[in-house]
Amino acid sequence: MSLAREVYAELERVVGTRYISDRPWILAAVRAPQPNTPMKPPSPEAVLLPGSAEEIQQIVRICNRHGIRYIATISSLIGFAYPSGPGTIILHLKRMNRLVEVNAQDRYAVIEPGVRQGQLRIELMRHGLSYPVAAVGPGGSVLANFACSSGDSHCQYGASRTNRYLLGIEWVTPEGELLRLGSLASEAGWFNPEGPGPSLRGVIKGFVGQWGGMGVVTRIAIGLDAWRGPAVLPYEGRSPSYQLRLDPRLHQAYVFKFPTLEQCRDAMIAIGEAEIAQAVLKYFNASAALLATESANDFWDLWRSGLFQRELARPLYVYLSAFTPEEFAYEERVLLDIIAQFGGEVVDERILRIYRDNMDFYVLVGALQRVLRLGGGWAPAKLSGDSIGHMIDVGKAVPEFMRPFIEQGRVLDALDNWQVIPLEYGHAAHIELLFLYDRGQANWGQVPMDFMRASMQADIRNGHHGTMPPRTAAAGAAIGALFSNAHVWAGRVKDALDPERVSNPF
Amino acid sequence: MDTLADFRHTMESCNHCGQCKVVLGPKTKGYDFAEICPIHMQFHFDAYSGQGLLHIAQELLDGVFEPEPALRDLVYACTTCGACDTNCKSIRDMEVMDTILALREHLVEGGHGPMPQHAQMAARVERTHNIYGRPHAERAAWAEGASATSAPVAYFAGCAASYQRTDIARNTLRILAAAGIECTVLGADEHCCGGPLWRTGQRAAAERQVRHNLEALERRGVRTIVTSCAECFGTLRGFYPRVAEFPFEVRHISEVVQQALDAGRLKLSRPVEATVTWHDPCQLGRLSEPYVPWNGEIRAFGEHVPPKAFRRGTEGVYDAPRRVLGAIRGVKVVEMVRNEENALCCGGGGGVQQAFPEQARTTAAERVREARSTGADTLASACPFCQDTLEAGLADGGGLRYRDFTELVVSALEP
Repeated sequence: MSLAREVYAELERVVGTRYISDRPWILAAVRAPQPNTPMKPPSPEAVLLPGSAEEIQQIVRICNRHGIRYIATISSLIGFAYPSGPGTIILHLKRMNRLVEVNAQDRYAVIEPGVRQGQLRIELMRHGLSYPVAAVGPGGSVLANFACSSGDSHCQYGASRTNRYLLGIEWVTPEGELLRLGSLASEAGWFNPEGPGPSLRGVIKGFVGQWGGMGVVTRIAIGLDAWRGPAVLPYEGRSPSYQLRLDPRLHQAYVFKFPTLEQCRDAMIAIGEAEIAQAVLKYFNASAALLATESANDFWDLWRSGLFQRELARPLYVYLSAFTPEEFAYEERVLLDIIAQFGGEVVDERILRIYRDNMDFYVLVGALQRVLRLGGGWAPAKLSGDSIGHMIDVGKAVPEFMRPFIEQGRVLDALDNWQVIPLEYGHAAHIELLFLYDRGQANWGQVPMDFMRASMQADIRNGHHGTMPPRTAAAGAAIGALFSNAHVWAGRVKDALDPERVSNPF
Repeated sequence: MDTLADFRHTMESCNHCGQCKVVLGPKTKGYDFAEICPIHMQFHFDAYSGQGLLHIAQELLDGVFEPEPALRDLVYACTTCGACDTNCKSIRDMEVMDTILALREHLVEGGHGPMPQHAQMAARVERTHNIYGRPHAERAAWAEGASATSAPVAYFAGCAASYQRTDIARNTLRILAAAGIECTVLGADEHCCGGPLWRTGQRAAAERQVRHNLEALERRGVRTIVTSCAECFGTLRGFYPRVAEFPFEVRHISEVVQQALDAGRLKLSRPVEATVTWHDPCQLGRLSEPYVPWNGEIRAFGEHVPPKAFRRGTEGVYDAPRRVLGAIRGVKVVEMVRNEENALCCGGGGGVQQAFPEQARTTAAERVREARSTGADTLASACPFCQDTLEAGLADGGGLRYRDFTELVVSALEP
């Protein structure tokens, strides 16, 4: 199916000839299969580069009129924004990339979709401000994460989920109305998401980010936190061997190991009770080895040495930062007391040195996509949130379904390649299990489906909230009850706001 | 390992992460100057980026669509600056630049490339051994009186310094003499380095230049080649080893000067009052690491057997020009945000200046905007092709002038 010429012409009149294309090589760049799947996504019918909310309104209305489905995107990492069927157009919002305002006094920034994580985080440091930067690498869209994906990062221990930082919102609804939400609705500025004015910040996200998302968010304000580091990041070296060092009297990285996951969990909770630290997490070990090396061969040398498996099976990563040396000294004393209380000890010096020599892991995670380096399949099987205790329980149950895959040689032998990131000083936590598989094996495309199914069945058996909430009817029927059947409610909201089901359909 | 099909692993490995389009995170300095791909900055479609070109190459190889002139125009809009390659290789083991070059070769082999301007250039090189079509007999006119005998060190001037910017060639010889380095010039034995042909996909024609120059160098007993042109430098180190055994050391004049300064064999005693910002030419910086042939196998989970020496842009010539310029009394060196391995291309590379001069000017204007933001009064570099493009971008004046590295060094030498 391709767009009728008159529809294409109608869209072309909105954005101009330069900013629309249906040539096959333009489409080739947005329909390539991801390395983790053998399935080529359906091709979009056209790619558009709108330049304003007004243009998006017109495009969305045309889509509603002609039953054309649309998906708005920026980087399209890991296939979250691919067409799910024919008759879909892609709205690439990269021309809408203005940093509209940084309000240091009221601590918010107003951004358009094309502003990237790397740009905003570093720009805000000049103002002594920061925000929870999603662990997607510097090229990811800030707006997409705050408004749609709510991806978490390593440094959210003293912060919260990104969608809670949303303030004023400018939104093109699935049917093409332009709404301003929160305080923006009554021209009171960007400072408040709830009002005066309507608050729909839970609705714009749709079901799970882009999968079923509602309309197109064209501008948002995000609340900002204090940045305790320097206005300009001090780095040495060149890609890929750069190092970022912060003043060790105010910033320090620690990696501890624990005899049991329960002790690791209890230390996490105790650190939260003490309300210290910027980052506290149990991190992946295979992914850590990938981040620590500069080629696949280097990774294999390290992984085969067994160091990361041995030292980082039950680790606790901590990043302390403070405004003054005295404050830092206090936090460090409290931390070391807690670690000792729960039986933790410092990991091998070689590992500790990696993090102390390069604090980027806690700042921008500029090299994050190294976790994809091995070039084959890579996917998260667990991607959900609950309490710290529950998330650790989910992690403890990983071997029961993962071990057969390892024994059959279908996935990398990395049982401990999962992370738990506590948020809000331990009031909530996020889990993620990454499994890696090689494309050279027979029926490699079946591996992720089999693995995720086994993971979901384990959650059902154990009553665990580990699986990403379902997006398909079949998955909803299987596991929806574990999530209060929220998918049913989400479907009803979708029907009300997007009756033609043209916005981010799945 | 240079045909399009050899790069399947790269094409199939791309996760669409976008790193090929933006400066490596910690090297960003803020909101401005964060984009790195000159074509993506102008055209915005993913197709105009390293990632997009990989996926175009994949579908072309799979026969999903056939080449046609509009596709050729897109592929040749790329400046082959390698920013995508270096940024991708900060996190992955993918060969983005080599895939793009192989894509161009694929188009040429199929009769769908290069651009007409590039084919005309190749015809000129075939006829006159230089890219301008000027008489070969004039190639060494700039070097009147210079030694053309055998010597272990040769100065390879290149087409631009031999014909268009002869001041660079003369300045280079003067600097070498001041440093006490005896050298030979190839004179009429020197042909185009082949770089402009290689980067426009005309590999067979490029290889002919390589073989001729290698023979000329070997005949004179040369062991070290000195260049003042970034294009020649990057080609000698990055292309020649793909064609034949390459037993030569290649040094840029900035490295030679730095070494001479360190050894006390050269003095820069005359002051030069200037605030200089250095534009890292792609072929002198991130793309200048020596190519090491590799014909191995990529096994499970990306393991390269035998291990491969990746060219990640780490060891480009970045320090030498900065240290030399910084050693001149009165010169203050200030940095652009996009520098060293993250430098923004001038806009004219890969044949873009010839085929799409307007596009090149737009990129150059962006680079000039960045240079002006540093407060510099001098934009310095060491590439006559960057000079052509950047001077077009400087056309409105604005208190910034372009000066070649060799000109600044000669200004600081005793008369």
